[in-house]
Amino acid sequence: MLVGLGAPDDAGVYQLSEDLALIQTVDFFTPIIDDPYDFGRISAANALSDIYAMGGVPKTAMNIVAYPMQKLGKDVLRAVLAGGIEKLKEAETVLIGGHSIEDDEFKYGLSVTGFVHPQHLYTNKGLGSGDCLILTKPLGTGIINTAIKGGLASSETILRVTELMAELNKTASEVMKSFPITACTDITGFGILGHLAEMVFGTDICVTIESRTVPILPEALEFAAIGFVPAGSHRNRSFRQEMVKLAPDISLIMRDVLFDPQTSGGLLIGCPEKYAVELKKHLIAKGVKHAAIIGKVFDKEKEIINIV
Amino acid sequence: MHKTLDARGLACPTPVLMTKDAIEEDKLNTVEVIVDNEAAKENVSRFLGSQQFSVSTVEEENDYKICAQRQGYMVGTISKPEDCPQPAASDQKQKIMVLIATDRLGNGDDELGKKLIISFIKTIKEMGDELWRLVLVNNGVKLTINDSPVLEDLVAYKNDGLTILVCGTCLTHFGLLKAKKVGETTNMLDIITAMQLADKVINI
Repeated sequence: MLVGLGAPDDAGVYQLSEDLALIQTVDFFTPIIDDPYDFGRISAANALSDIYAMGGVPKTAMNIVAYPMQKLGKDVLRAVLAGGIEKLKEAETVLIGGHSIEDDEFKYGLSVTGFVHPQHLYTNKGLGSGDCLILTKPLGTGIINTAIKGGLASSETILRVTELMAELNKTASEVMKSFPITACTDITGFGILGHLAEMVFGTDICVTIESRTVPILPEALEFAAIGFVPAGSHRNRSFRQEMVKLAPDISLIMRDVLFDPQTSGGLLIGCPEKYAVELKKHLIAKGVKHAAIIGKVFDKEKEIINIV
Repeated sequence: MHKTLDARGLACPTPVLMTKDAIEEDKLNTVEVIVDNEAAKENVSRFLGSQQFSVSTVEEENDYKICAQRQGYMVGTISKPEDCPQPAASDQKQKIMVLIATDRLGNGDDELGKKLIISFIKTIKEMGDELWRLVLVNNGVKLTINDSPVLEDLVAYKNDGLTILVCGTCLTHFGLLKAKKVGETTNMLDIITAMQLADKVINI
C-alpha cells in the first residue's frame, strides 16, 4: 500500500508491480444545481478529479445512486446518469457497473479506479522550500452555489459556474506530468486554505499566498459581500484558523473566498520555482485558461500559511 | 416599522433570505434577527451592512441577537449584479436569440415554406423587447440580400435596435458577401457566445 488511511490523501493507492499502482476513490453528494444532466456532469468530474490530482489515469467507474423514485421519477435519474456518462467518455473511462438504493434524499456519485506509475504518483505531501504553487481553476463556487440556492444568481452566472464545475482536471493533470511536480491535490470541500493546510501540516515549511494573484470568480466577491457565504466556509475557517495568518489589509470577503468549499475545484500544484512559469504557460496553452501562480513555499516558519 | 425574525435552526442562506424578504417587503427601518450559529450571524450582519443598516450583535446564551437600524432611514435596494435577467421572476425581461438556418419555414412544400418565413419574420416583432439577437446561418443568410422579400422588415428591426448577426462563412459559400444588405457579418465564436448569453435560443 502506497497511500492509505495513515496519511489521508485524495485517493488510496496500492502498488501492483514495480511500474504499476492502482488508485481508487469514491465521491458522491446531493444535487447542487437544478439541472439533472449538469448535476451528473459535475458529480462525475468531481469523482474523477481525485485520480487526476494524484497524477493517475482513470480507467473504470461505478455509479453510486440513492434515489427517491416515487418523488422524482425515472427521467431525472436518466438525465443525471447520462450527464455522468458524458464526462466518463471525455475521461476515456468505462462505466462497468454500479449500485442504487431507494432513499428520500437524492445522492449521486461514482467510485473511480485508475492507474499510475509509482514513481509519478503525486500526493499532498512533498512541498519544499522554494516551490511555487499553481492553481488551475478560479475559486468561489461554494459562495455562488449559495447565491443560486437563494435565487440571486443570474442565468449567466449559473451557466459559467456550471461549466467550471463540470470541467475535468484531465488536461491539467496531463500537462503537469512533464514537469518535476513536488505535490498536488484537488480543491474541494475544505477550500483552498483547508487543502493547503493538509499539505503543510506536519512539515517544516510555510507558505505565502499572494491574494491578488489568486483567480476568483468576480460574482463570488459580490455575493460574499452581501452575506451569501456557505456555512462550510465558516467551518473550514474555525478548523484551520491557527495555521492561517492574514495580513491586516486582507478583507473578510477575501478570507471567506479562500475558505470557501469548492465543488469539483481545480488542482493545486507545487513545483520548483524555476519551472513554475513554464508550467503555467503550458497549462494555459492547452486550455487550462485560469491557471495562475498564487504563492510560494519557504522554510522560515513551520505549518503556517501567510496570506498577503 | 420593526420586526423580530427567528432564524434559529436554519442553515445558510435561509437566514439571509428571510432578512432580505423582511426588509424589502415590509420596508422595515429596524429589524432584529435571532440566529444560533456563527455563519448565520456573520452573513446576516454583512447583508444588513450592505443594505445601509447599522448593525450591532448581542450574544445571549447559545444565540446571537442581531439588531439593525436603517441609516438615516434611507431606502436601500438589494444589490443584484447588473444586466442579469432572473429567469425565475416573470416581471424580468429575458434575452431570446432566434437562430434561422433556412430561407423557408418547415419541410414539405417549398413555395409554402417561403411564404411562411416571410410571415414569420414579419410577426417576430411580437416578441417585443425580449427579442435580443437574430442570427442567420446557412440558407438563412439569403434573407439579408437585395431581393429578399423581408429585407425591409429586417432593416426596420435593425433600426429599432435589434442586433442581426449574419454568418460570414455562409455568405462566402454562396458568394453573397457583397449582396448582404443588413446585419453584421459574424463568426462562429460570436454565435456561440450569443447562445451562451441568451436565456432562450429558438432554432428555425
